[in-house]
Amino acid sequence: MLYFTYLGFSGIILTVEEEILQSLSDAVLNFDADAAIDAAKASVEAKISPVKAIEEGLAKGLRVVGDKFEAGELWLPHLVLGAEALEAAVKVLEGHMALEDLESTSRGTIVIGTVEGDIHDLGLRIVASMLRANGFRVYDIGCDAHTLNFIEKAKEVNADIIAASSLMTTTMPFMKDLVEALEAAGIRDQYKVMVGGGPVSEEWAKAIGVDGYGKDAAEAVHVAKELVKR
Amino acid sequence: MAAPTLWEVLDRACNTGPVMATKDFDMKIFSVATRLTKEYDIKYDPKTPVSSDDSLADDVWKAGLQLFTEVGAYCMNSSRLIQFDESEVRQGLKEMRGEAVVGEGSERRTLKLRKVEDSSPPSIICGGVIESNFPEGENFVKLYQTIAQEPLIDGFYVGPPLQSSEGRLVRSGTPLETHLGRSMVSWVREAIRRAGRPGLHFISACTSALANVAAADPHEGLRRSDGIVSTIMPELKTDYENLNKIVYSHDYGCIKHVYNGGMIGGWAGGPEGALIVSIANAIMAVMVYQMSVGASYHALGYLRASTPNYSAFVTRPCLWGSSIGSQALSRNTKIINTAVAMTNAGPGTEMQLQEIVSAICASIPCGREGLSQGARRFKVVPLLGSGLENRFWGEVGHAMSRVKRDFANHLAEEMLQRYEHRITRESDGGPLGHTLDEIYDLKTLQPRRRFLDVYERVKRELEDLGLEF
Repeated sequence: MLYFTYLGFSGIILTVEEEILQSLSDAVLNFDADAAIDAAKASVEAKISPVKAIEEGLAKGLRVVGDKFEAGELWLPHLVLGAEALEAAVKVLEGHMALEDLESTSRGTIVIGTVEGDIHDLGLRIVASMLRANGFRVYDIGCDAHTLNFIEKAKEVNADIIAASSLMTTTMPFMKDLVEALEAAGIRDQYKVMVGGGPVSEEWAKAIGVDGYGKDAAEAVHVAKELVKR
Repeated sequence: MAAPTLWEVLDRACNTGPVMATKDFDMKIFSVATRLTKEYDIKYDPKTPVSSDDSLADDVWKAGLQLFTEVGAYCMNSSRLIQFDESEVRQGLKEMRGEAVVGEGSERRTLKLRKVEDSSPPSIICGGVIESNFPEGENFVKLYQTIAQEPLIDGFYVGPPLQSSEGRLVRSGTPLETHLGRSMVSWVREAIRRAGRPGLHFISACTSALANVAAADPHEGLRRSDGIVSTIMPELKTDYENLNKIVYSHDYGCIKHVYNGGMIGGWAGGPEGALIVSIANAIMAVMVYQMSVGASYHALGYLRASTPNYSAFVTRPCLWGSSIGSQALSRNTKIINTAVAMTNAGPGTEMQLQEIVSAICASIPCGREGLSQGARRFKVVPLLGSGLENRFWGEVGHAMSRVKRDFANHLAEEMLQRYEHRITRESDGGPLGHTLDEIYDLKTLQPRRRFLDVYERVKRELEDLGLEF
C-alpha cells in the first residue's frame, strides 16, 4: 500500500494483491456471490495464496457482516447471503490449494442442529451463520434432528464440536440423550458438546455434563472458540 | 366464488403444491419484504412506540397482503408451497365472521372485532403462565384457581408449564405428553370449578397434536367452547403437527386459536420487514388454518445475536410494530386479534407490570380484542407465575379501552423509559421475579401484602400519568 500527496490531494494506492483482497471482502459485504467468484478467479490468476485470499479477503468481509448483525445493523438473511458468497468463492479457490491448507483456514468443524421434536430453526440458523462468520466449518443438520444423526454426521466430517439447540422445555431432555449416546458408544472424549436455546441454562448444561453453553449467539461463538483451543 | 376449503388447502400442502427448498423460500421472503418496505416507504420510528398514523397502517396492510399473495405459505414436512391467488385471499378474508363465542353458561363470552380506539371493553383471555415449570397436581390447580378467581378474566391459555406426567419427565411428542394433555385439562377443570366458574373458556397448548386430541371431551375434558392453539412458524411456515391440530379442531368444532407474528431480525429483516411479514402471517392464519372462528395472537419478537431474551415482545421496536400491525388488521380485516407479550421481568416485580402496560398500550387502543401474556419466558423456575399479574392485565386492559392512541404513545414512552435500560445481557433481561407460593398465601389463595403494595404503587403511578381506572 502506498500513500501519496499530489497538488494538495492525498490518497492511497493499493497494490494489485490488496485490490483483489479488498474486492473479495467487498463481494461478501455486498452479498454478491458472482462478484466473489470473479474476485476469486482474479486472485488465482494473480497467484495470491488461496489461504491469504480466504483469511484476509473473504473471511474478513464475513466477520464484518457478523459484527453488523450483532450490532443490529444487519439481519439473519444477510448472514446467510454473506456466507453463500464466501462459499462460492472458496469453491473456486479450493481447486488451487492442498487439502491441509484448506483445513488450516478453518478454526474447527462443528455439527449443529436442533434436537428431536423441536422445529424452531431461527436461533439455529443465527448461531450457525455466526460460527461460519467466525471461521468455523459448520454442518447444519437442521431441526428435529435425532440424537444418532448428530453423532453420525460428527463421525462423517470428523467434527471437533457437536452443538445442539432447543427452544422448548419438553425437548431439552434430548440433549442429555446426546451425551449419553456418545458415552455409550465410547466416543464422548472425541467431541466437545455445547448447548443453547431459549430455555437452556448454564445449570442445565452442567447437569447433563456438556462442555459448553452459550446464552446467545455471540456467546456461542466465544464458547466454540474456547472449546477448540482445549 | 368461495374461498378454498380446508380440504383443498391440505391437498395443496400435502400433495399438489410446488416443491421448493426451505432456504429458497426463506430468501424469497427477504427479497419480497425488502422490496415492499421500499415501495411503501415503511420506516421504523423509535420515537413513536404507539403510532396514530392511519395511512401507515393501511400501507402495511397492503404490503402484507402483497407479500402473502406473492410468496404464499410453506409446509415444512412436504417442502410444498401453499399458494393462493388474490381473489381467493380476498374471498377468504370476506368470509370471516368477526366474532367467536367461547365458554359456557354464565361464562359464555363473545370475542369481537374491535375497531381502533374502540371504547367497548375488551375480553381478557390471559396467558396464565408460559414456559415456567409447575409440578403436576395440587399447585398446578391452585395456580389456575388464582387466575380463574379474578372476575375480569374471560378465559386463559394453559401452558404447557408441566414437565412431568405421573412423576416421569415429559418430552415433546412422546406418549407421556399425550397422557399429560388429558391430565392437565382435568386439573384446569378442577381449578375453574373451585373458582365457581365451571364454564370458563380455556385454551390447550400442548406441543403435540395428539396430546390435544387426547384432552378433548365435551364433558370432563376440553370442550367445544374451549380452544386449541396452533402456531405459524416464522415466517409463513407450517408443519403436519400444526395442521393436525387444525384438522382436529375443525372436525371437533372447538375454537381455533392461532399464534402468529413476525420476528425482527429474522427472514423478513428488520422491524419494517417483520411488521409486513406479521401481517402476511395473520393472513396465512385465515387462509391455511381457516381461522374463521377463533382468535389470532399477533406479536412481534426480536432476534439479536447478543440480546438476552430471544423474544423480547415489549422492547421498543416490537411495540412499534405491534401497534401498527394491530391497526392494520383491525382497519382492514375481521380477524379477532389478541395480543401476546411475554415479559422480560418475572411475576411480582414492578418491571413486569410496567412491561404489561406497554404491551397494552400497543394493543387495546390499536384495535385488539383480547390480551394474552406469559410470565418471563425461558427461565425455567418452578412455580413462576400467579393470578396477580393476570389481574393487572384485566384492570389495565379495561382502563386502556377508554384512551386514544396519542395517550397510549405517551404512556408507553413513560414505561419504556422506566424499564428498557434494565433489559441487558448482564441482568439476563431483568429481575427473575417471584414464585406462586411467595406471591400468594396458598391456604387462602390471596396475594400477600407486599406484592399488593407493588401492584397498588404502579397503579397509582399510572393514575398520576392520567390513566383512569
